[in-house]
Amino acid sequence: MASTKTHPKTVWDTLHNNGPFPLKTLYVTELAGQGNIPSKIDRYNDAAVEIQRLIQETHQQNQGFRAFGSAWSMSNIAHHSDRMHYNGFMNISLALSDEPPHPNTSYNSSNLFFFQCGNVIKRISEVLAAHGKSLKTSGASNGQTIAGCISTGVHGSALDTGSVQDYIVGLNLITGPEPEDIYYLERHSSPAMSDQFASKLNAKVLRNDGLFNAALVGLGGFGFIHGVVLEAEDRFLLQRYVRKIDKSIALQLAASLDFANSDFVIPEETDSQGKGNRPYHYKIFINPYQQTQDYMVELIFKKPYTEPYADPLPLIRTSLYRDLIHLLIKISENFPKSIPWFIKRLEKAILPEVREHVKGTLSEIFWDAPYQGPAFACSFGVDHTDAPRALELLVKLTREEGPVPGIFAMRFVKKSEATLSFAKFPVTCMLEIDGVLWKKTNSIMSLTEYSRRMIEVLQANNIAFTLHWGKNADWEFPGLIEHMYGSAVPLWKNYRNSLLSKEMAVLFSNDFLQITGLSVPESIIPDNLIVSL
Amino acid sequence: MKNMPSFSVPVVLILFLMLGLQSCYSVRIRGANGVPMPDPVGERTDYYRSMEVIEMDTTISIDLVTKDFTLLVRESEKCPTARIHTLEYRNTFGGLLLSGITFGRKRQVHIKYVCLKPEN
Repeated sequence: MASTKTHPKTVWDTLHNNGPFPLKTLYVTELAGQGNIPSKIDRYNDAAVEIQRLIQETHQQNQGFRAFGSAWSMSNIAHHSDRMHYNGFMNISLALSDEPPHPNTSYNSSNLFFFQCGNVIKRISEVLAAHGKSLKTSGASNGQTIAGCISTGVHGSALDTGSVQDYIVGLNLITGPEPEDIYYLERHSSPAMSDQFASKLNAKVLRNDGLFNAALVGLGGFGFIHGVVLEAEDRFLLQRYVRKIDKSIALQLAASLDFANSDFVIPEETDSQGKGNRPYHYKIFINPYQQTQDYMVELIFKKPYTEPYADPLPLIRTSLYRDLIHLLIKISENFPKSIPWFIKRLEKAILPEVREHVKGTLSEIFWDAPYQGPAFACSFGVDHTDAPRALELLVKLTREEGPVPGIFAMRFVKKSEATLSFAKFPVTCMLEIDGVLWKKTNSIMSLTEYSRRMIEVLQANNIAFTLHWGKNADWEFPGLIEHMYGSAVPLWKNYRNSLLSKEMAVLFSNDFLQITGLSVPESIIPDNLIVSL
Repeated sequence: MKNMPSFSVPVVLILFLMLGLQSCYSVRIRGANGVPMPDPVGERTDYYRSMEVIEMDTTISIDLVTKDFTLLVRESEKCPTARIHTLEYRNTFGGLLLSGITFGRKRQVHIKYVCLKPEN
C-alpha cells in the first residue's frame, strides 16, 4: 500500500526562498514497494486510493489541499496555508506502445508515454532516451515535475514548438474522494488512448477540447493531476551557438523572427542560397545597466541524432560563493547605485560563454541548475512584434526607478492551445528579468512595487501582455487577470466549476487563486459544458 | 621582532593552529545521470537544498598494516536505493595532522552524500 507521512510543519518555502509561507500540514506520499505490488498500473491505482484518502481527510477537517512538486515556482501558486502534498515520490513511468490506442488516433503509439505526476523532467528524458525518444521541449533546466510544468506553463525558447503543456495529450485527474472522482481527459479532436486504457486507471473518460485546454494549464485548481500521457518524438541533437551581435539586429530578429533575411547568419547554419536557417531556439541576454552596442544571443539548431558527438557537459562546474552574493545584496539594499557595478562584475558567471560547437540532446543542453540562493524572476509575455518596445520601456523603468539586481532575457514560444497559457500570442516573447532576491529599504523599492510598475508601464503604453504563472508579480493588481486574458477567464472558471463539486472547488483553491479572482465561480455556468464528445 | 611582546609567539601559534585546524577544502563528485533523493521537509540553504543529505563526521581507527578502508552505503530511509548521486569529501588540516601523528591509524572522515531517488 502507498503510505503517507504527515509532517506538522508550520512554514513552507519555494526552492528559491520566495516565502516563507504558513502551513498546517505537509503530506509526503510514497508508493507501495515494487515487491509488494509488482504491476505498475496496480501500484498507480493504489496511490490514487491513498490520494483520495488524503483529500477526504482534508475535507473532513474543512481545510484546503494543494499538491506541489519541486517547488520551483517563485509565486505562491504552489502554496496552501492548510495542507500541502509533496508529489515527488510518485514517479511511475510507462511506455504506451503496447496499450490499446484510440481507434481514431493520429498519434504514433511508439511516441506515447504515461508519467505519474512526480516525475521530474530529467527522469522523463532518461526514460524516453532509453526508447530512443526525447521530449519536444523543456524549460531552461530539468528539475521541475511534469505536473508542476504543465500547471504553470513552463517553457523554453522553442519558437516553433511551444511549452511543456503543448505535448500533453491525456490528463488523469483526481477531483475528489469518491470512486467516481477520477477522470481521464483528452481532446475529442485528437484522441490518444482507448477507453480500455482509462478503465485500467479506474477513470471516467471525458473527451472535450474545451475542458482539456482549460485543465491543461490548470494552476493546480482542477484537482490533483495524478498522471499525464505525453507525446514524445524521435531523439534529436541540438547545436548551440552563443554570439555577440549588434543589438539592433538582435531586436530586429526578435520582432520579425525572419532568420532567412537577417544580416546576421551563422555560416554553418545556412541554406544552399546562403540564407540563415531558422533556429529551434533563440534567446537574447540584456544587461539593462550597460550601454553597449552588442547583445549576447543564443541560437540553437535542431539536428538529426547521430553518434558519436563530443560530450557537451563540462567536466568541472563551479558555483558562485553564496555568502559573497548575500554580502553584495546587503550592500545593494542600502546603496542601490552599486548594483550595475556588481552585475558587471558577475556578468561572466551569469551569462553563457561565447563558445562554438556545443552539441547535445535536449536534456544535455538544458541540464541541471544548481541552487544559487534566494532568487526572483518577473516574466512578461508579449507578442514578439512588441518585444523591442516592451524591452525599451522596462529597461528604462529599471534604470530610472531601480536599479534592481537582475538582468533581462528574451525567449520565444509558439502559441499554446491551453486556455490560460501565457503563451497566447502567435509567437510570445517571454521578456524576463531574473536576479537575486532583495529586501525593500528606504533606498530600494520592493519586488512587488517593481513588478507593479512594470504592469503599469506596459498598460500605459498599450502593450498587451501576460505574466508567467510561476514567477513573481504583483498578483493583486486590480483587474490583472481579466486584462490579460479577457473572455478566457470565465471560460476557464466555467470548465473548472463544471468538473469539480462546489466543496472540491473550495478545497482545491488556494491564496493564489483567491487573490487573482480565479476561485470565484461565474454566476451562471452553462449546462453540458464538459460532456464527452 | 625584538619589539614583539613575549606573549605574541604563543598567541600567533594558537591563531595559526586555530586557523589551520579550520582550514579545509571539499571535493564533490556528482553523477551526470539520475535524480537526487529529495527532501521535501528539510530547510537547507546550501548546495544541497531540497536534497536528502547523509552526513558523516567521524574518526576511523585502523591498524598499522591496513592500507585503506571502504564505507558501505546501505538501504535506509534516507537512501532507499543504496546508490549514490553526489558525494562530497572534506579534507581538513586537523585531519591530516591526526593521520600524520598517528601514522595513519586514525583517519578523520568528513563526508556528505546524496543517494539516487527510487525509480518506478
